[in-house]
Amino acid sequence: MNQQRVKRILVACGTAIATSTLVAVRIKEEMAKRGINVETRQCKATEITSQAQDVDLIVSTTPVPSGLNKPVIQTLAFLTGIGKEDVLNQIEKILKEM
Amino acid sequence: MDAILAGLKSLFDTLGATVMLPIIIFIFALILGAKPGRAFRAAVTIGVAFVGINLVIGLLWNTLTEVAQAIVKNTGIQRDVVDVGWPSAAAIAFGSVVGLWVIPIALIVNIVLLVTRLTRTLNVDVWNFWHFAFIGSLIVALTGNLVYGLIGAAVAAALALFFADWTAKAVQSFYNLPGISIPHLTSAPIVPIAIVVNWIIERIPGIKDIDLNTDTIQKRLGVFGEPIVLGLVIGLVLGLIGFYNVTGGFFAVLGKVLGTGISLAAVMLLLPRMVAILMEGLIPISEAAREFMQKRAAGREISIGLDSAILIGHPAAISSALVLVPIAILLSVILPGNRVILFADLAVIPFVVAMTAPVLRGNVFRMVIAGIITLSLGFYIATAMAPLFTQAAVASGFALPEGAVQITSIADGFLWTPYVFVQLTGLLGVVGLLIILALVGAGIFLFNRNQRAWEVAAGAPAEAVSGD
Repeated sequence: MNQQRVKRILVACGTAIATSTLVAVRIKEEMAKRGINVETRQCKATEITSQAQDVDLIVSTTPVPSGLNKPVIQTLAFLTGIGKEDVLNQIEKILKEM
Repeated sequence: MDAILAGLKSLFDTLGATVMLPIIIFIFALILGAKPGRAFRAAVTIGVAFVGINLVIGLLWNTLTEVAQAIVKNTGIQRDVVDVGWPSAAAIAFGSVVGLWVIPIALIVNIVLLVTRLTRTLNVDVWNFWHFAFIGSLIVALTGNLVYGLIGAAVAAALALFFADWTAKAVQSFYNLPGISIPHLTSAPIVPIAIVVNWIIERIPGIKDIDLNTDTIQKRLGVFGEPIVLGLVIGLVLGLIGFYNVTGGFFAVLGKVLGTGISLAAVMLLLPRMVAILMEGLIPISEAAREFMQKRAAGREISIGLDSAILIGHPAAISSALVLVPIAILLSVILPGNRVILFADLAVIPFVVAMTAPVLRGNVFRMVIAGIITLSLGFYIATAMAPLFTQAAVASGFALPEGAVQITSIADGFLWTPYVFVQLTGLLGVVGLLIILALVGAGIFLFNRNQRAWEVAAGAPAEAVSGD
């Protein structure tokens, strides 16, 4: 494995508290299992544009503004439990290709 | 039963939320099938979160109490009910005796209604059970009767499911969220108001053609969506009004004003962070609860009930909230008889308006009107409920500073739903609770009898949606 820097993921939802905490904790745990070192930061939907600059990936439970120039995954899989593995694989793929 | 509950209440009062809640959460998590190590860590995290929330609320109360008293002295304007925000309300609710029991109660209510086919929603949004506990804890503060509080919380849980079913098709089609419904008691109460607003506006020529551009609003007013800046600016303005004439010369004034600005900016950032720790601690139990419920609801066509936080990113929700923030501040100053000073929950306004979007077809102008009506009403509801709210906070072990002002929050202290619960229970005791239960039951019955019409009223498209 090559020396990879920590990947930064911005997790967004309506509050930066409720659903984004759930998503952030899940991503951190699952990516650690897959050997990817990630750092998550949470923000509100209204703050996405100003927070998006220095992250590698944006995962949101709510619609995001266009023109962020970053990979964006909008998903409810972590909240409903449906399709969670697919999304995790997708995140892994994006981070590994970086 | 009463004796057991009374005993539990006194045990709880002695140990406090920071100790009791972790113990209870640990036990529930185990019952629901979480691994012991994970359950233990989660339980301790919740205790830690309460300590953190208490610290930040202390800072908020001290800062706001001082500046609010100075403002009253300087201007004579009586604004002595401080908006401490939904993070405080959630902590108060989960920290109350009702909060200890709200998770099993709401799960049981949900299972019973699913089995009897009275709801189609599987509410996995355990976090937002705090709204039910909030109503319950207000009832306990009012009546001193824990059983009433528990019944109130159970009825509130059923009410949330009714709102979720009613609005499910509307939310699914407008927000493009197949299979989702929103059993959220901050977002749902505005729906009937929005239906009336829409009906009236549709009949006024000229007004009915008005809409606002969401892009322009987001560009011009985006700053109202940045909590730190909002906290700083509000702190500076309040500081100026309260402290422009403090003794000690220019630097004393400057120090007081800037200090208030930074303190309130700090609260705006730190309070949600502390509550995020609480949320983190609840994850194992909410996931275990979700799996537990999904196993038992297998094979049914159901909607999964989620937090309205997933709606907030929509441009219509963001834009109308950004317009409403300055309007809400203005309202707090000009409404006669209002005693509420808005602060922490200015950030929660998107939640209040989000579910009007399907009814109002995303028309931001109409959403703002519905928001203004809900908030204007809210100031009086909040002023009336502030003593109870404050009492519930003290009962949950939050330390009010000496000579402190009273407290409220937009979520849910501004909303008509807790007000109806509290008023009817206050007037009629258990009969009041039974009336509310009957009303919720009637709502469910009428909805099931004429489902399409109700769904269209809440904003679902008039043409039939596939499946049913």
